[in-house]
Amino acid sequence: MTTRTLESAVWEALAGVPDPEIPAVSVVDMGMVGDVDVHGDEVAVQILPTFTGCPAIPVIRADVIAAIEDVPGVARVAVDFSFDPPWTTDRITPDGRRKLKEFGLAPPTGEGPVLITNIGLPAFAVCPFCGSKDTINENAFGPTPCRALYYCKSCRNPFEQFKPV
Amino acid sequence: MSEAFASVVLALADDELVLGHRHSEWTGWAPHIEEDVAFSSIAQDEIGHAGNLYTLIARRTETDADALALGRAKAHYRHATLCERPNRDWAYTLARHWMYDTADDVRLEALQGTADPELAALVTKMRREERYHLLHADAWLRRVSQGPVEGRTRLIEALHETFADAVGLFEPLEHEEMAVKEGWLPVPSDELRTRFMARASAALDELGLPTDIHTRVAEQAEFVASSSGDLIADDEPAAEGVTPDATAGGRAGRHTGDFDQLWDDMTFTYRNHPGATW
Repeated sequence: MTTRTLESAVWEALAGVPDPEIPAVSVVDMGMVGDVDVHGDEVAVQILPTFTGCPAIPVIRADVIAAIEDVPGVARVAVDFSFDPPWTTDRITPDGRRKLKEFGLAPPTGEGPVLITNIGLPAFAVCPFCGSKDTINENAFGPTPCRALYYCKSCRNPFEQFKPV
Repeated sequence: MSEAFASVVLALADDELVLGHRHSEWTGWAPHIEEDVAFSSIAQDEIGHAGNLYTLIARRTETDADALALGRAKAHYRHATLCERPNRDWAYTLARHWMYDTADDVRLEALQGTADPELAALVTKMRREERYHLLHADAWLRRVSQGPVEGRTRLIEALHETFADAVGLFEPLEHEEMAVKEGWLPVPSDELRTRFMARASAALDELGLPTDIHTRVAEQAEFVASSSGDLIADDEPAAEGVTPDATAGGRAGRHTGDFDQLWDDMTFTYRNHPGATW
C-alpha cells in the first residue's frame, strides 16, 4: 500500500474512534487529530486534548492505538498528545457540531463565550432541543470540564453546552 | 534539564495541585448545588494543569508524574501558603479563589513568553481554561460585595487575609536569577508582584472594596491604600495572625500546619497502596 493510501486508511480508522465522553462524535469530528505522519509501515499521530484535565485522555490513547493497529499494513503506532497548537472549539467540524446537537449537547457559540457585560457569564446557547436562543446560563461549569449548564425558557428543558474555549 | 526550569514549573504545578485539592473539598458540601459543580470542575482543571506540568518535568528527568505529585515529603513542595489555607467559610473561599486566579493570570500571561516552547504551549492552553475561573471569581466578588452587609463584611475580612497571603505567590523562586537569565521565567517575581498588586487593587477599588493590606507589604510595593465602600469603616482591622512574616516561605518549602492535614489526605492512597493504578 502506498503511503498516501495508508494515510487515508489511518484517517478512516480515526474517524471510527469515538470521544469516550460524547460517543456520538469521533476524534476527527472533534478536530482532535492534529497530524498523521506515515513513514513506511510506521504511523505517528498527534492528538490535541480538548481540555488539559480531561480524564478521557488515557482512554483516547488506547482507542486510537487499537484502531490504527487494525489497519492493514501498519506495523507500529505512536501517539503523542500535544498542546501545540492548542485545541480550540473552532476545530470542531460542521459534521461534529451537527452530531453534538443531535446528541443533545449545544455546540459552542462563536469563537469564545458571548458574555453578559459585568457578570461575565455566557449570554446564551442555542437550545439543542427546540432551537431557541431564549436560554439562560445556570453554570459556567458542568459535569465534565468541557460542559456548561443552561436552561431553555422556551421549551423548559435544562441542557448542556460544549463550552467555547 | 535545567534546575532553574524545573523550579519554575514545580512552583506553578504545586500551587495548582494544592489549591485544586482545597477546591475539591467543596465537592458535596458547597452552599449551592451549582457551586458544588463549579468548584469540583475548577478543582479538576487545576489538578489537570498540575498533572500536565508534573509530566513535563517527569518526561525530562525520567521520573514519574505521580511520584512528583504525591510522593514528596512536605518540605519538598513549593506552593505558596495561600494555596494550603483551609476553605473556612464561603467568603474566604471566594476571596482566595479571586486572589489566586487574578495572580495566576498575571503569572501565566508572562509565562506564555517562556523560552521553553512546550511550557509556553501548555500555558497558552491553560489560560483558555483559566478564563472561566476568572469569570467565576469576578462574578462572585461582584455579587457578594454588592450584597447584604454580613456577606460584604465577611468578604472584606477575607480579602485582607488573602491579599497578604497572595503576595507570597511572588516570593522569589529557587534559582530565580538563573531562571530569568535563561529565559524560563521571562518576568522576575518582583515585577510580577507589582503587576498583581496594581491589578488587584484597581479591581477592588472599582468595587468600593478596601485595598489596604498589611503595612509592610504595602510599603514594599509602594502601594497607596485607597477608600473602602460606604458600608464599612476604612479602619477595618486585618484579621489576627496575618503578617507577611508568617506567610513567607512557601517557595522555599516552609509550610504552615495547614499543609500537614492537606498532605496527609492528599497522599494517603498513594502512600498506603504503592503502585496502585485507577
